[in-house]
Amino acid sequence: MSDHLTLAQVDSDGAIAETLDRISPDSRAGFLRKGAILGGGIIGGGAVLSALFADAAEAATENDIAIANFALTLEYLEAEFYTEAVAMGAIRNARVRRFAQVVAAHERTHVAALKGMLGARAVAKPSFNFQGTTESEAKFKATAQVLEDTGVMAYAGQAPRVDATAVLKAALAIHTVEARHASWIRHINGAPPAPRAFDQPKTMQQILAAVAGTRFISSGPAMTATGSSPSFTG
Amino acid sequence: MTKGRRQGGFIAALALLLVFVAFAYGRDPSVEDGAVDLPPIPGGAVAQSPLLTRQSGTGAETPPHPLSDPDGTSRYMAVEQQVAARAKPSSGSRVVARLGTRTPEGTTNVILALARVERGGRLWIQARLPVLPNNTLGWIPRDALGGYNQVTTRLVVDLSAFRATLYRRGTVIWNARVGVGQRQWATPAGEFYIRNRLTKYSSPTYGPLAFGTSARSPVLTDWPAGGFVGIHGTNQPSLIPGRISHGCIRLENADILRLDRLMSPGTPLSIVR
Amino acid sequence: MSHHLTLEVVDADGAIQEALDDIETGTSRQGFLKKALTAGGTVVLGGVAIGGLPALVTAAPGPAQDTKILNFALLLEYLEAEFYTRASASGALSGEAREFSRVVGAHERAHVAFLKGALGSKAGAKPTFDFKGTTEDQAKFLATARVLEDTGVAAYNGQGPNLTKPTLAAAASIVSVEARHAAWVRDILQQSPAPAAFDAAKTQKQIESAVGATGFITA
Repeated sequence: MSDHLTLAQVDSDGAIAETLDRISPDSRAGFLRKGAILGGGIIGGGAVLSALFADAAEAATENDIAIANFALTLEYLEAEFYTEAVAMGAIRNARVRRFAQVVAAHERTHVAALKGMLGARAVAKPSFNFQGTTESEAKFKATAQVLEDTGVMAYAGQAPRVDATAVLKAALAIHTVEARHASWIRHINGAPPAPRAFDQPKTMQQILAAVAGTRFISSGPAMTATGSSPSFTG
Repeated sequence: MTKGRRQGGFIAALALLLVFVAFAYGRDPSVEDGAVDLPPIPGGAVAQSPLLTRQSGTGAETPPHPLSDPDGTSRYMAVEQQVAARAKPSSGSRVVARLGTRTPEGTTNVILALARVERGGRLWIQARLPVLPNNTLGWIPRDALGGYNQVTTRLVVDLSAFRATLYRRGTVIWNARVGVGQRQWATPAGEFYIRNRLTKYSSPTYGPLAFGTSARSPVLTDWPAGGFVGIHGTNQPSLIPGRISHGCIRLENADILRLDRLMSPGTPLSIVR
Repeated sequence: MSHHLTLEVVDADGAIQEALDDIETGTSRQGFLKKALTAGGTVVLGGVAIGGLPALVTAAPGPAQDTKILNFALLLEYLEAEFYTRASASGALSGEAREFSRVVGAHERAHVAFLKGALGSKAGAKPTFDFKGTTEDQAKFLATARVLEDTGVAAYNGQGPNLTKPTLAAAASIVSVEARHAAWVRDILQQSPAPAAFDAAKTQKQIESAVGATGFITA
């Protein structure tokens, strides 16, 4: 008993869940835990999260909106990449699969939060072609590492440019989670989880150029034709 | 001849027989609906094609992974380069059809992706093809195709009941009465998909909106632009329901406008007799 | 790994209190808080506030406030650096834990050097530490490292909005590394490297309180 830690436990639903088990199992806490953990979000965080992004929505300047849409585009990409990778079923290793599932849920949560914050100003989700990187375990692992490291650099580059405090708080809360993702997949890949003492930021242009280089964002198929009458058999 | 060789010879002959059967089966346009192509189910892609079950599993090969489930999520992909679709996922296999990148209407040519395999380090997609004979499947190298686009809807047209029903994840969300092909120009039965969507044209016989399907008239083979079966509105709604068309599926205009709000192209289409 | 967790209540806006009330039904809010603020009390953390208490921000960002905050960060980096230095020297670590301490220790020492350089003559002095045996036992080392790194993330995220932009840029380049450390040690411990979609922030008071409660800083 004497060597238990007394430092504050930060934002860890794993630890919280463990602790919740120690209070009355019939308490509403047990009910809360099931819902929140499965969603990969913060326990009891619904109200807090809404508050954070609602504040951000109110306070955002035009510049902030542009930055948030830039972040949203990256989050759309990551969310779709991980969700598709899980669906494609090419990941056989359980540890890699768990990573993909957890991170997919996180990125979807990021998308929802940023879309909620931007409202009608949110950019539409682009079409993607992941060029087979969601369909091979090896390609997935390598691509995920690049995407997460890129996300860290993107958020680091934008944080000092944000105007509204509330928007900055939201950005910082996402930034470090992307760094956790990066460290996690690097560890799985046998790469150094934290290769440097200081992470480097990149500008929006640099990040967009890197993303363009992947050719992941595509224009999507044109499915509607206008103006000419159908030539179907009738 | 050694026992092993005899067995090998037997297996080869059986394979050849199955290839012949599949070939003959696939070629016959009078085959009843549903007999060749069942809606994909998880693992069902293997059952669908006898050619696949005959492939020797060397351990490096994985079974086909299903990509579309009409009661869940289906996926369609753009044809981004002119490409040959083949009977088997191998560049030496017989060409089943050659695909271009555009439809006659100018939209992107898309295929419904049924399954994926990796063979020799290359990804292949088993696709439902917009070619004759109807219900043709073929294997396409994945790198000739675009990204995965998802739909969760499914359209079923019942020719005897003169009714079309739209499902989302297995739940009915729309239905309407339809006109179908007259007996000599019967609407083909089988598994298809919505290929594109046409609007803002001035042709009252087609109503305000038309969907192109991957189904083709097996009899009107000289029809301009390939004789594709469409789903469209009409300026003769009193004829619905009935066998009234050259093969197209006709809806009353209000119904097709409602359908348009609920269904996007790429949606799998089942036509049952 | 310790199973007995003492969680500090994150005192923030009403939403958190709401979540806490939901969890601790039947406990009065006052009694709950009082118990929480006493070191050694076992409480449950409900939701986690993202962002500090507005009332604690004493001024708009500026050089004087930057200095205060960087010294606060320096204190934490001194602590982490010394923790890893002693752990690496103790001979108690092997395998990946040893590698972790070596790499992360180098990072934290680099952070100390950077902050001291940035603060110049205003840099605070390095305290005296007693790590209470956590640097001499691998299991305790890993558990403590996890908490230290997670706390570092919360601390930097809490102070980020209070910094001038250039200093924020520097802090951003450090906090993501702390997050990488946190995820790494969590994976070593077979816990989720990224337990939630958003990382919480903590206020200076909360961090100081938590650090104080460890007893690691003796002078």
